Amino acid sequence: MKTIELALELQAFVDGELDVRRRGEVEKLLATDAEARAMVAELRELQELVRANEPVVLVPETREFYWSQVQRRIASAERREERTGGEAPIKSMQWVRWLVPAFGVAAVAVVLVVPRSSAGRLGAASGFADLGDPVSLTFHSDTDGITIHWIN
Amino acid sequence: MSLKQDYSSSADEQLVAWAKDGDSEAFEELIHRHRDKIYARAMIMMRNEGDALDLSQEAWVKSWQRLRQFQGESTFLTWMTRIIINLCLDQLRRQKRMRAESIEELQEEVGGVERLMPVEDAKPTEGLESEEIRRRIDEALGKLTDAHRTVLVMHEFEGLEYKEIAKRVGISIGTVMSRLFYARRRLATLLQSLKRERLE
Repeated sequence: MKTIELALELQAFVDGELDVRRRGEVEKLLATDAEARAMVAELRELQELVRANEPVVLVPETREFYWSQVQRRIASAERREERTGGEAPIKSMQWVRWLVPAFGVAAVAVVLVVPRSSAGRLGAASGFADLGDPVSLTFHSDTDGITIHWIN
Repeated sequence: MSLKQDYSSSADEQLVAWAKDGDSEAFEELIHRHRDKIYARAMIMMRNEGDALDLSQEAWVKSWQRLRQFQGESTFLTWMTRIIINLCLDQLRRQKRMRAESIEELQEEVGGVERLMPVEDAKPTEGLESEEIRRRIDEALGKLTDAHRTVLVMHEFEGLEYKEIAKRVGISIGTVMSRLFYARRRLATLLQSLKRERLE
């Protein structure tokens, strides 16, 4: 094959991508050029071979399990959509999303920072207290006058 | 005749109509009919079972959500295949797998040695059983780069024209032609070497 351009033209011919004029030009060339004919024959043969033998791959899961996974995803997507009230309103109210973290931080600060009271003292100037509760942890600081409860 | 039997003997068009009305059993029947084809397309493009399963399920979710947009201009399977291919293209882009290697880009620009080599033996799979031919083609497809395989799959298996591939992949028609040609030459060479390996 003389040039890559010619090779691509022959390929386009095989793929039926040429207009009438260019198709005519390729047909003229094929009548005289054995190498071009061989290239076209090879491209056609390979194309037929590939198209007729598309690899077969089967889903490695049962019908029921696969469906249950799709169902779960659909339900989850629908829940998400319900929570957000659809896509369009969310886009028009993007700015509201910026306020959520700010309100969140403020709320956590109010709830967790408890004013010191003598009844709630842990006995040390500051430190962590394990109150035997596996899901919470308490930090107390006399200096700063705060008590913080972590709840897991 | 039970409803279940109705589903299994109904045409896709009828199942789609029922599914549009919210009938999930009709939708499940559609999935059952076409899930292998959709999964296979994802598997051929992604070459990874986890990605293929995930994307094929995502395609069904999108299909359920957009079912009302499907007006029957094509078959349901063609519509579904379009969805899975778009998801695969997005995933390949996210994984930065669609960028051709720089050395390949150079080859594509100047025309590598491989693309100008003498015409291959046109019958690299002569005498083989159909299953073996499919296996070899799959193996050879797996050795192509994602960029080359994607174009080849879209052209040969989906029957898409150059301009449609260019639009969907986001490349020029010239690049589609060049990648397709390179992919075919590589495929022919790989099938040849697989044949030689078997004979040795």
